[in-house]
Amino acid sequence: MISGTGITKTFTQRGGVLGAREVPALRGVDFAIPKGGAVSFIGESGCGKTTLGRIIAGLETCDSGEIVIDGVAMSSLSHRRRQPYFRRVQLIHQDPYSALNPTRTIHQALAAPLALRARQTGRPRSWADERARELLGLVGLDPGYVLPRYPHQLSGGMRQRVVIARALTVDPEVLVADEAVSMIDVSLRLGILALLKDLRERLGVSVLFITHDVATARYIGTDGELYVIYRGQVVERGPVESVISAPVHPYTQALLSAIPVLHGLESPGEQRVVPVEASGEHPDGCLFAPRCPFRTERCERERPALGRDGDVPQEHACFHPERRSVVAVPVSRR
Amino acid sequence: MAPEQSPPGPPGVRIRGLTVVYRTPAGELPAVSGVDLDLAPGTITGVVGESGSGKSTLALSLLNAVQPPGRIAAGSVEIDGLGDVVALGGEGLRRARGRHVGYVFQAAQNSLNPLKTVGKQVLDLGRSHGVEDPRGLLADARDLLGRMGLDGARVLDSYQHELSGGMRQRVGIMLALVLNARLVVLDEPTTALDMITQATILRIVREVHAERGLTTLVITHDLGVVAEVADRLAVMYGGRVAEQGPTREVLAGPRHPYTRGLLGAIPRLVGDIGEARALPGRPPTLADIPADGCVFRERCPLRMDVCETGSPPVVTRGSRSAACHAVRDGDGDRPAVAAATGEDQA
Repeated sequence: MISGTGITKTFTQRGGVLGAREVPALRGVDFAIPKGGAVSFIGESGCGKTTLGRIIAGLETCDSGEIVIDGVAMSSLSHRRRQPYFRRVQLIHQDPYSALNPTRTIHQALAAPLALRARQTGRPRSWADERARELLGLVGLDPGYVLPRYPHQLSGGMRQRVVIARALTVDPEVLVADEAVSMIDVSLRLGILALLKDLRERLGVSVLFITHDVATARYIGTDGELYVIYRGQVVERGPVESVISAPVHPYTQALLSAIPVLHGLESPGEQRVVPVEASGEHPDGCLFAPRCPFRTERCERERPALGRDGDVPQEHACFHPERRSVVAVPVSRR
Repeated sequence: MAPEQSPPGPPGVRIRGLTVVYRTPAGELPAVSGVDLDLAPGTITGVVGESGSGKSTLALSLLNAVQPPGRIAAGSVEIDGLGDVVALGGEGLRRARGRHVGYVFQAAQNSLNPLKTVGKQVLDLGRSHGVEDPRGLLADARDLLGRMGLDGARVLDSYQHELSGGMRQRVGIMLALVLNARLVVLDEPTTALDMITQATILRIVREVHAERGLTTLVITHDLGVVAEVADRLAVMYGGRVAEQGPTREVLAGPRHPYTRGLLGAIPRLVGDIGEARALPGRPPTLADIPADGCVFRERCPLRMDVCETGSPPVVTRGSRSAACHAVRDGDGDRPAVAAATGEDQA
């Protein structure tokens, strides 16, 4: 179990005529990734979802807030003592082409972390080779074919599987998949998603799925939780199916409305929400207000906090939550 | 030379028997094999394919811009008002690009010159095409940007790094249209853009297409993109057109097993998510496209003996066609079997 409270991160952007500029990437985010669960962060590029993933993987620190792994607060530990905790969280990058060293065979890529693992756990060296074969089998690859090869000799889908196998060498509790299929061919994407889903079921690893594609998040686990992030703030959070079928935050609705409709198979949702072009900012107001077609005067003055109200099963940060049917519906086949 | 004028209406395009090969250590390998495709005047055609399907090579052929080690080995690309571009060369070809055919390159959002303002790049474009009224050209550029929802004057004064991805993509579209090209090719127009930005760009593509009376070709890996913008759809696989037809009809009732597989592999927002299925295997690369028989057979659930050796015939029914042995025996329709392609690779 890994959780966080009040995670805040601000980047300082240099350059430009105005000098340094503070850019808030995360504004007090709370999250919890239950053991064996599936959690998805959804949002546009720049919303902070990747930064949050990196903080959870221990690759970045937050300015304020607390990360708790298996009951231990990370702020109470020295950098060195934190490492074994963060090793339980493994990040799978978007780009399988740059995640593997091109000068090393797949065998070499897996042997190094496994040899370390063997030393730590007092196992013989031969265990590492066995384990490498086992892990490649687990991710659906033929070890005999893959082990002696270099990354460039494998397809994108195979490479991504190798990256996942390498992440598994340290027996992680959480896999953080950051846009893990966006560079993979369409016909192969589902295979990688199915693998993540399968690892969840078979090994009990949690999956934190970071993406801008809501439908893929649904594939990882309909029992999972969805966090919709806008400019560093979680604006809607709840069970995947209820956020998708009955979103209440206008930003979530805009995101879902933007998903292409397969005309001929589907007809568009009746209340699709199209954001307006942003005009100005309201320093204390709702972050989405400048683009929100439903904003009121209150939205420009006050910032809504994430919370629950009414009979809506999910939490939201909106003064005027309203269900709208924005998602395309299948037309019945002839 | 007479001033080059665009024809009064949007141009039609007829691609016949197009074969493009790339020279490799293993000999010349076909990236596109005997493709027939029509772009009807005033329509948006979407070409969908995975990496290695030949879709980008096909698009480059419209400009006769396939770069070595690739070359157009056979076939023709007839564009109204321009003739067969495969036969075009030198200055004539250079002038045709931009004037007749506008091209928005893949990752156009990263293909601007970082050292020059957008306005300067518009002027460069005008100079290289002998535009006599640079002011008029800038005004056109400003209007186009304004039409796409941007502050035209500000964008013309901006450098690439001052613009967001969606704004750069719109600049790319403006540069393709500002010389009044009536045939526009967009290669992966929304890759690397966010969902909301993608929806905006697709809406703009549709609107600009209608307002300016264009013939548009959209190249993409994403069936959703095609579904949103295209009147007609062509699905490419292994350098061939697997299936083509009116977008809605193809999506509602795909005939080629690859189209069916591709559609089935898209996770959707409603319905039983467990129904989504990955295709087995992987798409072929240039090096392992089968020379004989159907290029899709390795991954095909309908594979038969005949698929090993015979190139699938193109079966045309009405406005739709599919190249598959298994769809040959249709529901009473007369299968019009066109010549099998790809048997004469040099």
